[in-house]
Amino acid sequence: MTGVPVLSLIVFLPLVGALVLLFVPGTAHRAIRWIALLASLASLAASLALIGYRPDGPEFQFTENIDWVPAFGMGYRLGVDGLSAVLVMLTTILSAVSILYSWNPITKAVKEYYISMLLLMVGMLGVFVSLDLFLFYVFWEISLIPMYLIIGIWGGPRRIYATIKFVVYTLVGSLLMLVAILAVAIAHASAGHPFTFSYVELRGFAYTDTLQALAFGAFFLAFAIKVPMWPLHTWLPDAHVEAPTAGSILLAGVLLKLGGYGFLRYSLPLLPDAAKAFAPIMIALAVIAILYGALVAMVQPDLKKLVAYSSVSHMGFVMLGIFIFNMQGLQGAVYQMLAHGVITGALFLLVGVIYERTHDREIAHLGGLNARTPHYAAIFGLFVFASIGLPGLAGFIGEFLVLLGTFRYNGYVAGITMFIVIASAVYMLWMYQRMFFTVPSDWMRRFWPTLKDLSRNEWLALAPLIILVVAMGVYPVLIMDAVNSPAQRILDAVNASGGLTSFQLPW
Amino acid sequence: MNYLNDLFTLLPEIVLVVLVLVVITADLFLPRADKWMLTPLTVFGLILAGIACVLVWGVNDTVFSGFYRVDDLSVFLKMVTVGVGILSALFVPSYLRIRRLPLGEFNAMLLFSLIGMCVLCSSSDLITLFVGLELMVMPGYLLTGFAKTDRYSNEGGLKYFLLGSFASAILLFGVSWTYGVTGTTRIDAIGQALSGSSLNPAMLVAVAMLMVGATFKVAAVPFHYWTPDAYQGAPTPITGYLSVGPKLGAFALLIRVFAEALGPVRADWLVVMAILAVLTMTGGNIVALVQTNVKRMLAYSAIAHSGYILAGLAAFAAAGSVAVQRESIESILFYLAGYALMNIAAFSVVGMLQRDTSRFGGLRSFAGLGARSPGRAAAMAILLLSLTGIPPTVGFFAKWYVLLATVDAGLAWLAVLIVLNAALAAFYYLRVIVYMYMREPEDDPAPIDASAFGTVALALSVIGVILLGVYPGAILDVLRASAGSLF
Repeated sequence: MTGVPVLSLIVFLPLVGALVLLFVPGTAHRAIRWIALLASLASLAASLALIGYRPDGPEFQFTENIDWVPAFGMGYRLGVDGLSAVLVMLTTILSAVSILYSWNPITKAVKEYYISMLLLMVGMLGVFVSLDLFLFYVFWEISLIPMYLIIGIWGGPRRIYATIKFVVYTLVGSLLMLVAILAVAIAHASAGHPFTFSYVELRGFAYTDTLQALAFGAFFLAFAIKVPMWPLHTWLPDAHVEAPTAGSILLAGVLLKLGGYGFLRYSLPLLPDAAKAFAPIMIALAVIAILYGALVAMVQPDLKKLVAYSSVSHMGFVMLGIFIFNMQGLQGAVYQMLAHGVITGALFLLVGVIYERTHDREIAHLGGLNARTPHYAAIFGLFVFASIGLPGLAGFIGEFLVLLGTFRYNGYVAGITMFIVIASAVYMLWMYQRMFFTVPSDWMRRFWPTLKDLSRNEWLALAPLIILVVAMGVYPVLIMDAVNSPAQRILDAVNASGGLTSFQLPW
Repeated sequence: MNYLNDLFTLLPEIVLVVLVLVVITADLFLPRADKWMLTPLTVFGLILAGIACVLVWGVNDTVFSGFYRVDDLSVFLKMVTVGVGILSALFVPSYLRIRRLPLGEFNAMLLFSLIGMCVLCSSSDLITLFVGLELMVMPGYLLTGFAKTDRYSNEGGLKYFLLGSFASAILLFGVSWTYGVTGTTRIDAIGQALSGSSLNPAMLVAVAMLMVGATFKVAAVPFHYWTPDAYQGAPTPITGYLSVGPKLGAFALLIRVFAEALGPVRADWLVVMAILAVLTMTGGNIVALVQTNVKRMLAYSAIAHSGYILAGLAAFAAAGSVAVQRESIESILFYLAGYALMNIAAFSVVGMLQRDTSRFGGLRSFAGLGARSPGRAAAMAILLLSLTGIPPTVGFFAKWYVLLATVDAGLAWLAVLIVLNAALAAFYYLRVIVYMYMREPEDDPAPIDASAFGTVALALSVIGVILLGVYPGAILDVLRASAGSLF
């Protein structure tokens, strides 16, 4: 595609903003906030061009292809299909929302904060648009460090423990993935092809079963830690509880999606045989995650921890949808990723709103908020219902499709999963009831005179999410159309494979 | 024989020798207040030496009756050597001035050591090799003990000297056994004599001794015990030089001896090299993990980095084709260049926090640096991320290159151990970032030494770290040509 390099603009406009911020004095908080917001809005505006993606056109559109290190077949290869296009838009929207929301809460090291946020955007967006495994890895790692700083500098009391745990977990997974990327590229090259990291070239090559199994394991570690899948999820509650609100929004809204996207973009099409062979294990882990997340969420005294564990449960749906290998499942998984991004992002934002006012997130301390903050209660309720999966809101469609697909895969698995959907209603509604309807606690009454409803800024940050959660609930067709053909390609790749037939461990 | 031509190929060394003489003479006549001019003088001379390197690039000639070899490999290493020299000459002066240590002697010894490195890189005979090695490490011993009145500096210098001489003796013994078996000290002739046959017991002894002697110099575990004390005792920016310069030379020695002379019998030393690599990176990282002094932590992490480079050498030994062998050598060269850039600079930041001479570079002096000195903290953070191996920095690409070579050579298990070690290392490198950005400053924060030379050199290093990380292609052609001159 010639003309404007749309994808480069999307990815690097935030970087431009970060570089400009370097030269703004650190005390000019207002200017810093405006520059960061404008940079993220510019990226958001550029990402709107992706609406022009044609589902009936070539697989990857808006492509850019520049040699980077030709000696090693590394290219600056960018492109989007429907799957990445929708995730890019989710990322730009949630990033702008986070930056807007941070306007008042962040008062310490403001300049460094916004530079970190913008660099985080660069990393996340880059992951979604790269079509080169090396480039993908570079962006993948770039997204790690800003989040490390955001949790570690602007986080809660145990932030250092949480952030180191987050980094070490993620790094172990991603470094092993680097070895797998190398092994895949080398195997491809040793069959007589030129050495390359191009995704399009590497896809569809018949890797040996042993390599597929080991590489799948390495990719699995990297992606499953990010998703996070049970039992690799233990960093998530800590990271969420300690992260500042905007950090939580992006962590839940986008960073977790990097894992799901990784499975869809890399694990399945590159290593279809291994994916097919390991699918039952993955499904089992996904169902455990759904169940475990829901059960643990029920007993959480802390609002953020509750939402964090509900994320584990919801992302379990995504993994389930991916590995049952049928159209409903895949579409549902992608839809669930987007919906979870919007809903959980909004829920973390709403938790941040009350935390800003009371500096506490204990559910037991809250209560009766409905009387003082009716707008807040209404919006919170909207997203609680969306999270439960009320028809007409975004959360319903993804879960419904995944369940439908699961019935086609196996009735028992679907039965168990259905049961858990009810559990999610239990913990969410119970939380809502304790927060808004009971008699306010003595503790809460101290804040009564000063407690304010949503501010203008908070409304502004929430507005796009409110629109999205309703729009995605009533009119899913646009996204479904975009996702349809990528999902079909993944299915074709997996269904054509016969699983691992001659798998041997190398030792 | 055209001796004039032979002399031309020695141009970089000649420039350096003249420079030493000029520096010593100037030191005699300059009044105390003007001694600082020695630094620009040295840097200027080193830049001339760098230009001389460019002039002899592509000569690829063996001169002086086969004792000296000026190939692209040696010229590349000399360029890195000159770069190391420039950075060291810029980082060290203010540290010395605060402690009233003489600048002229430092510059002279640094230059002597650099000359030794150049000779070592270019030797095509084991005798030349040994002479170059000694010329490189002797000033190193002196530099370690450079703070004459400081106990730790004395202790470090003495330890380094005793153990270093011991290792040199073992290496020399290995050289003599090699001569006994093959009848020659010429590197290419040794290779020819050994090719086509397996090792006889006498040669096995020789290889063992050469390996012990050489890996001692790169501080491989279990021959690393001198490193932490020598590195901690030496004046901090000098430690930066010691952790890079002599190591660069020692790896040149390893390439010359093991890849060239012992290349034909590489199957026999492959396993030992791979085990040494694993021991070195794991040992270095695990001990670095528990250090609370950043200087000592960086000393142990320098050991770990030796391990990664040794893995490149193991990949060379395991390689099934010439292409992969070349790739392994390239990865070693790239790692050395990147490591030189980031490690000297990282040590120098520790040195900048030792303006108050009672401080020893503890983690606590880094507390709150992000607020107190944003520029230096950001530079240190980038250097630490590069040492960890996070893109887009040179450290990441260097690790990536070594991984590529090891996987390509069929040592995937070694690659897995490398990345696990990198994750381990992240833990202690990031801890410094935690102190810089996530903790409040101490009540009496360490004063910062903000000399102009040091700041410029730090900025240059950080820019280099990022540029080479974003676009490694900039030096890739040079790298490939220099590795290619071995084959």
